[in-house]
Amino acid sequence: MKNQNKDQPMQLLWQFMWEKRWNYTLSVIAIILSEIVYVQFPNLLGEFTNTLQAGRLTSGKLAYYAIALMTVGVLQVALYGFGQYRNGETGRLFEYQLRKRLFGKWETLTTAYFRKKSVGDLLNHAMTDVQAVREALSGGMNIFTNAIFLLLTTLYMTFTTISISLTLLSIIPILFIPFFVVWFGPRIRQASKQVQEALSDMAEFTEESLTAIRLIKATANETIDTNRFSRRVDTIVHRQLSMISRSALFQSFIPLMGSLSFAIALSYGGYLTIHGNIKLGSFVAFTLYLAMIITPLQQIGFVIINFQRASASLQRLQTLLTVVPEIDDPIDPIPTQTIRGEIVVALDEYRYPDAAKATLHDIHFTLSVGKTLGIVGRTGSGKTTLVNLLPRIFDAKAGSVMIDGHPIHQYRLQDLREAIAYVPQDGFLFSTTIKENIEFGRDHATEEEIVQAAQDAAMYDDIMAFQEGFATQIGERGVSLSGGQKQRTAIARALLKEAPILIMDDSLSAVDMNTEKKILAALTRLRKNRTTMIVAHRLSAVRDADWILVLENGTILEQGTHEQLLALNKEYKKIYDLQEAGSDLA
Amino acid sequence: MSETTATKKPSKAGMKNLFRLLPFARSYTMHFIGVIVLVLLYNSASVLQPFLVKVAIDSDIAVRHPHYSGLWMISMFYVGVVLLGVITNFSQIILLQYIGQNIIRKIRIQLFSHIEAQSMAFFDKNAVGRLVTNVSSDTETVSQFFTQFFLSLIRDGLSIVMIIFAMFELNVRIASYAMVILPIIFIISIFFRQKLRDAYQTTRTRLSAIVSFLAENLAGMRIIQIFHQEKRQANRFERLNKSHNQANVKEYGTSVMFNRVLEMLGNLAVSAIVWIGGIAVMHHSIPFGTLYAFITYIRQFFQPINAVTQQWNTLQSSMVAADRIGGVFAQIPAIQDAQSPITLDTVAGEVAFKKVTFGYQPGQTVLRDVDFVIKPGSFVGFVGATGAGKSSIMSLLMRFYEPQEGEILLDGQAITRFTQANLHRMIGLVQQEVHLFSGTVIDNIRMFREEISEETVKKAAKTVGAHEVIKKLPQGYQTMLQGKGANLSMGERQLIAFARIVALDPRVLILDEATANLDSQTERLVQTGLQAVAKNRTTLVIAHRLSTIVHADQIIVLDHGQIVERGTHATLLTLGGFYAKLHEHAGTELLLDDDAKEELKV
Repeated sequence: MKNQNKDQPMQLLWQFMWEKRWNYTLSVIAIILSEIVYVQFPNLLGEFTNTLQAGRLTSGKLAYYAIALMTVGVLQVALYGFGQYRNGETGRLFEYQLRKRLFGKWETLTTAYFRKKSVGDLLNHAMTDVQAVREALSGGMNIFTNAIFLLLTTLYMTFTTISISLTLLSIIPILFIPFFVVWFGPRIRQASKQVQEALSDMAEFTEESLTAIRLIKATANETIDTNRFSRRVDTIVHRQLSMISRSALFQSFIPLMGSLSFAIALSYGGYLTIHGNIKLGSFVAFTLYLAMIITPLQQIGFVIINFQRASASLQRLQTLLTVVPEIDDPIDPIPTQTIRGEIVVALDEYRYPDAAKATLHDIHFTLSVGKTLGIVGRTGSGKTTLVNLLPRIFDAKAGSVMIDGHPIHQYRLQDLREAIAYVPQDGFLFSTTIKENIEFGRDHATEEEIVQAAQDAAMYDDIMAFQEGFATQIGERGVSLSGGQKQRTAIARALLKEAPILIMDDSLSAVDMNTEKKILAALTRLRKNRTTMIVAHRLSAVRDADWILVLENGTILEQGTHEQLLALNKEYKKIYDLQEAGSDLA
Repeated sequence: MSETTATKKPSKAGMKNLFRLLPFARSYTMHFIGVIVLVLLYNSASVLQPFLVKVAIDSDIAVRHPHYSGLWMISMFYVGVVLLGVITNFSQIILLQYIGQNIIRKIRIQLFSHIEAQSMAFFDKNAVGRLVTNVSSDTETVSQFFTQFFLSLIRDGLSIVMIIFAMFELNVRIASYAMVILPIIFIISIFFRQKLRDAYQTTRTRLSAIVSFLAENLAGMRIIQIFHQEKRQANRFERLNKSHNQANVKEYGTSVMFNRVLEMLGNLAVSAIVWIGGIAVMHHSIPFGTLYAFITYIRQFFQPINAVTQQWNTLQSSMVAADRIGGVFAQIPAIQDAQSPITLDTVAGEVAFKKVTFGYQPGQTVLRDVDFVIKPGSFVGFVGATGAGKSSIMSLLMRFYEPQEGEILLDGQAITRFTQANLHRMIGLVQQEVHLFSGTVIDNIRMFREEISEETVKKAAKTVGAHEVIKKLPQGYQTMLQGKGANLSMGERQLIAFARIVALDPRVLILDEATANLDSQTERLVQTGLQAVAKNRTTLVIAHRLSTIVHADQIIVLDHGQIVERGTHATLLTLGGFYAKLHEHAGTELLLDDDAKEELKV
């Protein structure tokens, strides 16, 4: 597996480049042409010098040289600009495609996967890694073509028109440049990584402090906190300076080598000129050629570094893109049919991937069509995990959960999830309008249906109280809803879906009792032909359920109807007394 | 990631804000002068190089009797100049970065403590995320102003000046012709400036739209999958991704265009110099070496110009960042310490509110004429529906906000006469939500105060019953709390918060009881801890369970910002008013919240 990954990253790149081979051919040709034109520049100046030296320069000849130089200048820039633009454009297309593929892949991955990865890390891949790859690709294509051909053509020109010995002697110092770049690059990168770590450490510290600002103020801890902050800032300064001294050394080295070459050219070239081995024009042209190849040599080094960095990024992207979804359609799904909603759970054990201990064990129950199951228990008793097995958000062993007599693994994921409406604990909503959030589960709902769902979820009045009603933007750029409003909107979203199975995962916790009553009343009306599972902390939400499970430590502690469980006089009764005693007077 | 706010166009005000940060640089004046000297040396070394070649050509090579020794001399001198250039370049980078990093260090620390000095009203208005951006990335961007832009300005600006000077030194007439390119460059830059800026802003805005979309959708991936809306969200992403791609390509195209146009101008300028200088050489008004130098200078001329224009985006973004930082610095903390504060090491703990009226915004009234006295060492419960004003009373006592009218006294002294630090050492607060910091358990209890010994911490933990819990952790008191205490249960976190208060030992304690559903065993633990904490202190409790305050010395019942009843549990019950009704409906165990309030209205 590891080995396989090692050569794959480049494959991702090659594949794209192969697809875009004609684009690249065109831009590479343009860049090569521009270099071929460009190397004429010193040559022309050299010829010009020689003509001038020989005293054969006339106004006509002068005009010829000037115009020739202009033509070269314009052509070179136009050709290079074209190639550079095309490369950049194609590189950005790759960036775009990578992000698209990433998002598409993420949509197929399971919650178990997202539990392992932090959103911040994934975002980093989608933004920074993708950008690093694009920079290496488009910048690399430009510079590499440019550098290689400029170098080759320049060497060719100096070999043929000036002097082989002068060329060979002069380029000795600058030949070290690419090696130096490659040697120094990773060291600078290492230092820069440490700087980044220090920076994010400081950002995290700031967030932590400001989130707890009340506590910090209340304990008069501002000075201590600022001192702790200062220590982190000092680390940044320290690491920055260590990185900078490396990169400054690096930046100084390249001009040094370039200038040493130039010094050789000046003394040896001057010597050759004095001896008449080469003409003054050639000497002039040579110094210009030398100036021309320093930059590409430096750039070759940078391209190598960029590629090193990008290959790490590519590797990560490749890993992301090749993750196999843990939960996928069966090879041989049962044909799409109307699901009625009979649920049978025969679960011996469920443990999270990589978990040592089972989260759920020995849970068996049957829920016939249209019945309601209440699930209560303490935080961490496994209620949420249990209801999440149904839509295969978490995947239990095949056969332990059945709907309408078929193991859920035999349904296509789409069919299975089509049949389930789900209200999450936190009432997760998107930063769009309220209407778009409610109709999220159904594409072509009518206005009336949306209003009805909002009313059933006791959210209608709240929505109408907003200035823009259903068109109100929510989230960061709009209205921020209270916890209860979020939950009720999420309930409306689930009700609108009209699925045969409804799962409410502790989704009434932030709703006050009166509203809870209203919602439960609406549910009683609606759930006639829906199988419903209600996870709750407050017993009031489940007392009317047909069957109630009391979970503890991942298994069923008690089960029965409300009355039976009260009569049992154990855990359920205890919770009941704690919550309800004295409020039964109404 | 608050690029969305960057859409505001940086204006003159942005520049002004950048200059406002200059005082941070003041103590580095000498260093800056050092940088300028180094830059001058470096630039001289660069400018001298073509001149040396000119000398070599005109006086040693292209003469009737060439001088080998002269050529050697010049070559050696050339190497010396090169070394000087390299050394000065190196030291200039190091020195400038040293300055820049230290300036940013100062700005960061000051900004951070400035933010922490703000009153709570400030934090109500400003999201934490934004402030973190201000401290971390905005400062980083501003530092680029000092390190990159400033360097470019002096190095490249000086280069331009020195090259112009050298050209005029060589030949005034040809140099004057060369100056024609200056206005052309200027016009081109102005033309592209606006375009580049707009393109840059558009790309950034669209990129940040992608970031927030991804952040939200990754967090809500489960919902997308359960509702089977992968396609819909993929289409949304496609739109954002596509529009970013278009803006990105456009931005790139604009910058390629700009750079190439400048380069073309450079090439044309060389041809023009060849033409004009060629005529001059033909007429023997200048030697050939001078023409050579001119050609090199013209080429050199475009390098700094190009570099300066590359810095345009840096300037742009640092102006935006400076704008935001300046905005924070401009906020004067709404609550200031008294000019000549009184300092008390300890107080008896008598708390009094005198006719206090308060609202979070002008015109709003959250508390009206609240008036009470709490005796030192007593235990007082505050009861009332959400929004009745319980938390506001506590915030006022902590001086998180200032009352609109009335006065708050601690041991008979107005709390405004103490420094906030002093006040907060005497009054402690336990919030519903327990905040834990990345660090060891012991540091979390003593709030990173080295002066609180391990003994004290352990004693505090034992007092509230946290010791047993902590001892069970892998490294005991030295256990690192990961991800804001994710490795602790709700009850354990509560106990740590109690231990913290005992360790800090304030005379007055405000306790906002947790509403969380704790299992009965933890519940008992927490209740025992609570009683231990309250002992020997004046304690004000915002009660969510009546059982907590049944034995309170005094219960203050609030409704709509006013005190409606007060007394002990027994007297209030016999009174048969609001409290009695509450008790009747809710019993002693029910959470007193909106639900209770709603029930009472029926």
